Amino acid sequence: MKIVVCIKQVPESNQVKLDPVTHNLVRQGVAGKINPFDRHAIQAALAIKAQVGGEVIVISMGPADNEYCLREGLAMGADRAILLSARAFAGSDTLATGYTLSQAIRKLGAVELVFFGRQAVDADTGQVGPIVAEFLGWPQLTLASSLTLKDRRLEGMRRLGDLEQTVALTLPAVVTASNDLNQPGYLQPRMIKASFQQEITVWQETDLAADPLRLGVSGSPTVVRKVMAPQRKQQETVFLATDPQQAALDLHAALHAKNLI
Amino acid sequence: MTKIPEVWIFAEQQLGQIEPTVFQLLTRAREIAPRFKVVAVLFETPTQHLAATLAEYGPDKILVVQDPRLAQVADAEQATLLAHLVQRDQPNSFLFGATALGRSLAPRLQAKLQTGLTADCLALHFEDELLVQTKPSYGDNIMCEIVCPDKRPQMATVRPNTFAAQKVEPDRSRPELEVVTDLPWPEVAHFQIIAEKKVATPQTGLSQAKRIIALGRGAADAASKTVARSWAQKIDAQIGVTRPLTDGGGFSVKDQIGQSGQTVAPELLFCLGISGAVQFLSGITNAKVIVAVNPDPQAAIFSVADYGFVGEANGFLTALQQVDQRKQAALK
Amino acid sequence: MVDLTAAQLMLHQMVREFSEKEIRPNDMAIDQQRFFVNGIYQKLIDNGFLGLMLPEQYGGAGFDAIATAQTIYDLAVGNASVAVTLEGHYKTLDQLLKYGQPSLLERYLPSANQRIFAFSMTEPSGGSDHSTLGSTAVRQGENWVLNGNKIMITNGGLAEVYCVLVKTAPEEFSVFLIDQNMPGFKFGKRENFLGLTGTPIAEIFMENIVVPADHLLGKVGQGHEIGDSAHADARILMGAVAAGIIEHELEIAVAYAYQRKSGQFRLTELQAIQRKLADIALAKETTTLLYQEAAALKQQRRPYAEVAAMAKTHGSRQAVRAGDDALQILAGYGYSLDYPVEHLIRDARALEIAEGTVEKMRGEITKLEVATRI
Ligand SMILES: Cc1cc2nc3c(=O)[nH]c(=O)nc-3n(C[C@H](O)[C@H](O)[C@H](O)COP(=O)(O)OP(=O)(O)OC[C@H]3O[C@@H](n4cnc5c(N)ncnc54)[C@H](O)[C@@H]3O)c2cc1C
Ligand SMILES: Cc1cc2nc3c(=O)[nH]c(=O)nc-3n(C[C@H](O)[C@H](O)[C@H](O)COP(=O)(O)OP(=O)(O)OC[C@H]3O[C@@H](n4cnc5c(N)ncnc54)[C@H](O)[C@@H]3O)c2cc1C
Repeated sequence: MKIVVCIKQVPESNQVKLDPVTHNLVRQGVAGKINPFDRHAIQAALAIKAQVGGEVIVISMGPADNEYCLREGLAMGADRAILLSARAFAGSDTLATGYTLSQAIRKLGAVELVFFGRQAVDADTGQVGPIVAEFLGWPQLTLASSLTLKDRRLEGMRRLGDLEQTVALTLPAVVTASNDLNQPGYLQPRMIKASFQQEITVWQETDLAADPLRLGVSGSPTVVRKVMAPQRKQQETVFLATDPQQAALDLHAALHAKNLI
Repeated sequence: MTKIPEVWIFAEQQLGQIEPTVFQLLTRAREIAPRFKVVAVLFETPTQHLAATLAEYGPDKILVVQDPRLAQVADAEQATLLAHLVQRDQPNSFLFGATALGRSLAPRLQAKLQTGLTADCLALHFEDELLVQTKPSYGDNIMCEIVCPDKRPQMATVRPNTFAAQKVEPDRSRPELEVVTDLPWPEVAHFQIIAEKKVATPQTGLSQAKRIIALGRGAADAASKTVARSWAQKIDAQIGVTRPLTDGGGFSVKDQIGQSGQTVAPELLFCLGISGAVQFLSGITNAKVIVAVNPDPQAAIFSVADYGFVGEANGFLTALQQVDQRKQAALK
Repeated sequence: MVDLTAAQLMLHQMVREFSEKEIRPNDMAIDQQRFFVNGIYQKLIDNGFLGLMLPEQYGGAGFDAIATAQTIYDLAVGNASVAVTLEGHYKTLDQLLKYGQPSLLERYLPSANQRIFAFSMTEPSGGSDHSTLGSTAVRQGENWVLNGNKIMITNGGLAEVYCVLVKTAPEEFSVFLIDQNMPGFKFGKRENFLGLTGTPIAEIFMENIVVPADHLLGKVGQGHEIGDSAHADARILMGAVAAGIIEHELEIAVAYAYQRKSGQFRLTELQAIQRKLADIALAKETTTLLYQEAAALKQQRRPYAEVAAMAKTHGSRQAVRAGDDALQILAGYGYSLDYPVEHLIRDARALEIAEGTVEKMRGEITKLEVATRI
């Protein structure tokens, strides 16, 4: 079975700050790494491959240095890696990202399962997986917490708040992996070394038969207008009434309005 | 006459219960778009009748899609149905709770409509008809203001419990009701729900707990412990303690919060009879809402608390339980 | 500071995460229970740590000196005993790779991915001075027969293979490899050490152990050279252990001083405390520069013994001193056995003795300075 895992490279740390003068993001530790949630996706793909055979292909869209997260994918055990990298892809929002990835999956052909992480830890949207599912016209299981494959039927569970759903999908399908799906181990030092011996395929927009108006900035309806530091509100303690009955009444109302009780 | 812009809110439900975020969004939409038409979009089976609950939060209109097949529906099917409605009515914006379902459904709809979607918003306001959305990134370390200038509807998912829900006066809640039963049903979804069940949040230990009641030296007496336990049961909270309470008395180091114990990040934390030594405070820096109860008004714990009650824990918790019982009774 | 290559960076990210998740949460328990709790030892094996610097041809990952030292540092930030256990193993493998005969390496090195190797020189009669060694190897046809008693061996009992320094003639020293499975091999008692309590440090007895000729490392009489080489390789890693301990001390001291208030001031705002915090930070930086420089020299095949000795001489003292400062900042809590600072000092103290005492190293540094200048 041909299985694809889409992975994103994210900054090594979320400790980003704003430059007070330029208002640009200052990223500490320029190094990137694979989006940690995507490791669950790769692990799930490897488990399916172990069961039915085939190959696991990791794909990432981004600048040339995204090669790094692809090598992490290879070090986990993926068979090959494709980097989608071109000027035309720059500035993609989730819609354009989803379109570009779905075009790459079409080009690969005969893909039966595509895995995603639950969300990227930097932009935090979790939208790319469902968007790709929609563009491919495939069913999706989001936030899968368990997964089994029998014949061409994928059975899995997901949590929607307090509701636990058990669902079945027919292949081809898209799955986004929750953290409960599996526990990816640590990279083996030997596999890290080996991953740097492997070739990585690079595809540009001309390789994808893509509509240029749907790529990058032109294909992105959202605009990030401003980036700000969060306002940490000064801690102000609301002192409740001295009478316990009144205090209890006020607190109950306040917590209830915040949906805390 | 130009059409009044519409703000749509997806009225997510689970087994006949409306997700609380929906009420928060209805309230917020009315505040930020007083001149717009606030529309709740409800998917239900013909026997569910959930519109009345939504009406209490004052939407101008409730758009109900009723179909028995909605008992068993794939994300893809819901997105297709919503797309039909959007194409028919052309709303200005469409809001979803950033719940597991909202975050699965909204992007599929977005892809169908080829419009923009902003994830997990913490603030929303309108500049004329432009929806200005503020969302956190980098694990809440950065806030971004995002707009979708050219495409409609403007879509956003909104983090649960960001806004407070407020019911409207009963005489103000007479929404227009439209029941749609003739939408073309999407083709084969290749998706089937095998089982659905409600599950309680698993008790995964203090560090994962959503609600915690922490006891300190000032609440170490048997009576306080008993009320604390019964209150904990009522609000589905776990009990944590400060270091002095780990030496016997039913608690051990694994129940301890603080530097040499567990780091916790609950949404709601009660600190009862806790003075607020640094060793303890370092373990609770990620708690969202903190309620402190201590007879000493100078206690350091008040400096980090959102709500403070100066007095004994026992009496206060007893009063709180009574209030809660009365409210529960009034609901029935 | 050295720039890591992409592969080294990936290793570093993995090790740091392993250290944060698997080791640090067990730091206090390792110290108190005096062993690698919660299956840490097996996790080190399962995750390929034993073969990290072993060449690919023997089933290892083949990482270089810089990556190896970085790994030891990252582990030491979690717990120094874990780092020292690997330090003992790596420095032994280094000597086998340098001096071992091909037939021996082919038989033994593949197993180094699963088994710990140790290096043993010290005897009851002394560690700094080998002239009094009582252990011997005597030729018997094609074989050698070993006898004697070795003490204070890092990983004694845990390790399954030992390189031992013995006399092959009254003034002739040689190193042999022995295996715990050999007849005549016996374990003695475990040392009851003050710090690094997670690492077993123990004695062994050799009673007429017979080994084939290819168990001799290098040549007969090359023992001192091999011993010095083992020390040089070990000291780079011990510098990294020291830097890791100081980082742990710094982390605790800053976090505490920032949160603790005296009057309306945070402790970080008090000059007396700032002096200590700045000194701890400085100690970490200088120690890091030294061990990384030594590792880089080794990587470039330039002489590194002197800088390696400096890394351990400087780092070990700084780690003790920084721990003392951290203890003072935490005051009563620093002095408490329920908080980690005191065991960091105990751990750090070992680094002034193991792999050559600081006195001995200062002698060696001086000797090298004189030799290059006069
Ligand atoms: C601060 C900030 C805020 C943003 N907010 C929004 C927003 O609200 N709406 C919006 O449309 N765009 C937004 N973007 C743009 C968005 O980050 C990019 O489109 C990004 O390429 C994909 O979205 P994501 O990071 O949210 O990924 P998610 O949707 O969170 O990622 C889910 C999964 O998709 C896969 N995936 C994601 N990106 C890639 C990739 N490049 N290559 C391969 N697989 C991938 C991974 O498996 C990942 O786990 C924002 C960008 C920034 C920097
Ligand atoms: C944690 C730990 C792990 C160890 N692991 C190993 C191991 O794996 N393998 C192994 O073989 N040994 C190991 N040792 C032993 C260690 O190498 C010796 O303790 C060390 O070499 C000193 O030997 P000694 O204890 O016999 O002291 P001595 O050599 O008797 O020294 C006593 C004192 O005299 C000083 N001194 C002695 N000679 C000189 C000199 N020439 N110049 C200046 N001062 C001098 C010393 O510095 C010291 O202060 C370990 C020790 C420790 C604490």
